[in-house]
Amino acid sequence: MKISKTVSSLMFLPFLLFFILFWMVPFLYGLYVSFHSWTVSGGNNGFVGLDNYIRILSPGNMYHDSFMNALGNTLYFVVISLVPLVVFALLLALLIENIPGKLKVFFRTVFFISYAVSVTAVSAIFKWLFTGNGGYINNVLEGFGLDSIGWLNNQPYAWIAVLAATVWWTIGYNMILFVNALDEVDASLYEAASLDGANAWERFWNVTFPSIKGVFVFVTIITVIASFNLYGQTLLITEGGPARSTMSLTMIIQNTIFSQNNLGMGSAMAILMGIIMVFITLVQFLIGFRKDDNA
Amino acid sequence: MKKLLMGTLLSSAVLLAACGNGDTGTTTDSEEIPEEAADATVIRFLNGFTGGDGAFMKEIVDNFNDSQDEYFVNESQEPEHYTQFRTGDYELVVMHGVNLETYSADGLIQPVDGILEDVGMSINDFHPAAEDLVGLEDGNYGIPLDIHPLTTFYNKNLTEEAPETYEDLVTLSAELQAENENMYAMGIPDSGLIEFYTLTLAAQNNVDLLSEDGRYLDFAQEDLADALWILHDMIYEDNISPAGLGIDGEFHAFMQDTEGDSGGNQTAVALTGPWYYQAVSDAYGDDLGIGSIPQLGDQVAVYGNSHVISLAASVEDEAMLEGISAFMEFMYQPENLSNWAASGQAPLHTETMNYIEENADEYPLPYQNQQMFDDYVAAPAVYQFGEQIRYMNETVIGRIVREENLTREELMEELENATGVAQEIADTAPNQ
Amino acid sequence: MKQTKTQKVILVIIASIISLIFIFPLFWMFFTSFKGMAESISSARLLPRNWTTGNFVELFTVDAASAPIIRWLFNTAFISIGGTLLVIVTNTLAAYSIARLNLPAKRLFMFIIVASMTVPGIVIVFPRYFNFRDMGLLDTFAPLILPYAASTLGVFLIYSFLRNFPRDLEEAAYIDGANQLQILRHVVFPSIKPVIATLSVITFILIYNDFLWPLLVTNSAEMRTVTVGIANLVQGANFVNPGKMMASTLIATVPALLIFIFANRYFVKGVNSTGLK
Repeated sequence: MKISKTVSSLMFLPFLLFFILFWMVPFLYGLYVSFHSWTVSGGNNGFVGLDNYIRILSPGNMYHDSFMNALGNTLYFVVISLVPLVVFALLLALLIENIPGKLKVFFRTVFFISYAVSVTAVSAIFKWLFTGNGGYINNVLEGFGLDSIGWLNNQPYAWIAVLAATVWWTIGYNMILFVNALDEVDASLYEAASLDGANAWERFWNVTFPSIKGVFVFVTIITVIASFNLYGQTLLITEGGPARSTMSLTMIIQNTIFSQNNLGMGSAMAILMGIIMVFITLVQFLIGFRKDDNA
Repeated sequence: MKKLLMGTLLSSAVLLAACGNGDTGTTTDSEEIPEEAADATVIRFLNGFTGGDGAFMKEIVDNFNDSQDEYFVNESQEPEHYTQFRTGDYELVVMHGVNLETYSADGLIQPVDGILEDVGMSINDFHPAAEDLVGLEDGNYGIPLDIHPLTTFYNKNLTEEAPETYEDLVTLSAELQAENENMYAMGIPDSGLIEFYTLTLAAQNNVDLLSEDGRYLDFAQEDLADALWILHDMIYEDNISPAGLGIDGEFHAFMQDTEGDSGGNQTAVALTGPWYYQAVSDAYGDDLGIGSIPQLGDQVAVYGNSHVISLAASVEDEAMLEGISAFMEFMYQPENLSNWAASGQAPLHTETMNYIEENADEYPLPYQNQQMFDDYVAAPAVYQFGEQIRYMNETVIGRIVREENLTREELMEELENATGVAQEIADTAPNQ
Repeated sequence: MKQTKTQKVILVIIASIISLIFIFPLFWMFFTSFKGMAESISSARLLPRNWTTGNFVELFTVDAASAPIIRWLFNTAFISIGGTLLVIVTNTLAAYSIARLNLPAKRLFMFIIVASMTVPGIVIVFPRYFNFRDMGLLDTFAPLILPYAASTLGVFLIYSFLRNFPRDLEEAAYIDGANQLQILRHVVFPSIKPVIATLSVITFILIYNDFLWPLLVTNSAEMRTVTVGIANLVQGANFVNPGKMMASTLIATVPALLIFIFANRYFVKGVNSTGLK
């Protein structure tokens, strides 16, 4: 097909326009701000070059301490959330794919429904479930004769509570993407595999997984990004505690900008966060699409 | 397929058309200003009263707007109202007392002495505690509205009166424990409201947190470590509080379901924020008692935060200033300000306090809390108070409350860390 | 893939157990909304001891003046639908252009699109707020709808879908003399419907539940979205009433749930059912 560049560009143009106006311009503005001493209320107090970045990266000051602490916490959450959010989501999708007819639609709805709840409500619900003194889960534990646990103010329990809330809230999102992908897998491939006497695992590994690999990598990438942006759950369930151990990067940046009135420093932190994220994504991308780029 | 596509396109066209209408329709009526007030000077009044308090402030504002047509107060209640104030345009804003130093240093608010003068008031029309709250070097930066101190609620089913001393708490807890090991005198949270505890304990032990140069909070004091250690003793020595309470633990333990379907710990007393009044009175009704803060240190003293009404630095216009004066004159009438007391907040305005005294039955909580004003100790006025004390709230107190084996040396080390952060925050103040 | 009856039954039982876990928190939300204030704070029971509709009554009477929930629902529905349509149209065009057409520098665009997805939203929010403020557009529908169209997730999603999708039909249509827009409308769009349905729901809920952005750009009660409005109502400083919070959240969530259940049927129709293969 020979298609004129003009037609192609025209179709791309509406998106490009929105992207430039509402993403590129603010982004460049944010980048610009990060090289300045800039307060939310007072505005620009002059160019400082890389000073903001240097302070964040050199030890011995509070910006460094809080950024590094939050970076560690956030990466920890990314790691612990990856398997539940990606692998469990895939298992749910496979389960749904193998359930007949109308029940399939029913279960798919049930597993996705929690995604429609706002983070405020999700947090309120899980805070109640995991409350240490007389909370629901502790009561259940006590019913089984077990000791109650101070979920929200002790580690690793606080992370477990945050993780449970996150998985409940967002796993349906990943699951739907997987369900979509599984729907596209060519049924004739399965039939061929069945004839060869393949068992369920072999069928999955040799037929299903290769067909959905692109989506799998994509889901992994967006899950890492979403976990990296952890905010509402830790803000509302643990308030960053105990002892700042669930303080996430977004919380620190929000605090630097809004509470400390330091837009320049906060922007620099955000840009650094972005750079780290781009790097991580790039690595995932290269690993994930290494072989099948000519597909 | 074609049908479906056309349908989609058609419905989106209809929607977009509706979009146009909706857009113009709403921008005009989003202004909330009634027609008869079209010529009025509009005063934009911002506050953070989005919870239960909001309705009471709105009542005052509505009554003012109805009482005259020269000025119109356009009130916004915003959960993130400090952010809104820093970025938006407003004339009047309700601030917390501890934030005045920050916002005056940032050049966002100006002294209100001119307004007070216009209205025929002075700082002497308020309880003496007000002076410390709003008075900065070059004037008063806010008209005092209320103080919300650490408040003592008690459950009359479990104790006949509020404990007044540490010994009272020890005795009460022992009695309750003898009856049921899940019962305690009171609860110590590990975060949240803990800032009120820290400053109350500092005040009761006569510890001055202000550094010598007056710029930052100096936590690295042996006296403060002594004062705070009592929290550790209350949990691990004297069994006054259960261990392991989290955020809002003091309140939740007090509210524990008494009918036995929860295995949690219950307390007879809560030292908590007055804003929980509605909840605790809903739970206990006539069995709820309100007391004074017990003396846990060398002297009686209490800390709490406060609301004040501040004037944006940008306001210069004479008509606007007159309007603001008119609004303040209206608000600071006992019959109007008592609306605010009806929310449970304790006003500092002397005439209104007298009015509350006469009608104590109607205003039980403000009445009780204004008794404590004489012992009220304000927070030191430092730049970014909340950020300077943040490390204390988030890390230090939590360790005292959670870690049974914490040593004094470790505590002093953490207090030094907290001071270090406070100093760094103080260094970010403009015009050093 | 044929399963025996027993296998099917086992799978359904497993799915049912997981469903219970998924639904339990929603049950809690539902039942708590019928609890009084004190009970909703202290009780560890799922079911209310004393059922009350007080929370709902309060929301529609006492709070009605400062909290026009119906108006908020309308605003939210309006911006969510408007924003979603905008995203679908712009993103489909863009993804098609990258995946199939002769767009100059498409590799560069693709890189920027992927890279932009990784930049934390917090970098963008503040400068964008100032842009809208300077244009005098705060407290209108413009900032509540337009910025979502800059989202790149959809472009990437549709692009990935198209990349693995055979071109035969499109080329046949092209040979028959159809132009690009016609091919997109009549050939491509029908076959990418599942991904469009998914993207629609994701975008819809994203806009529906967005919090910080609508909070910043609205300041009158009439312009609030339901998420922000309810947060204002029940989450303010020193507010404690889980019962009322859950009642208002329930009101806010039900429309989103209905929309989702309605959209659900479009998810299933994959390529196989369109007869393309």
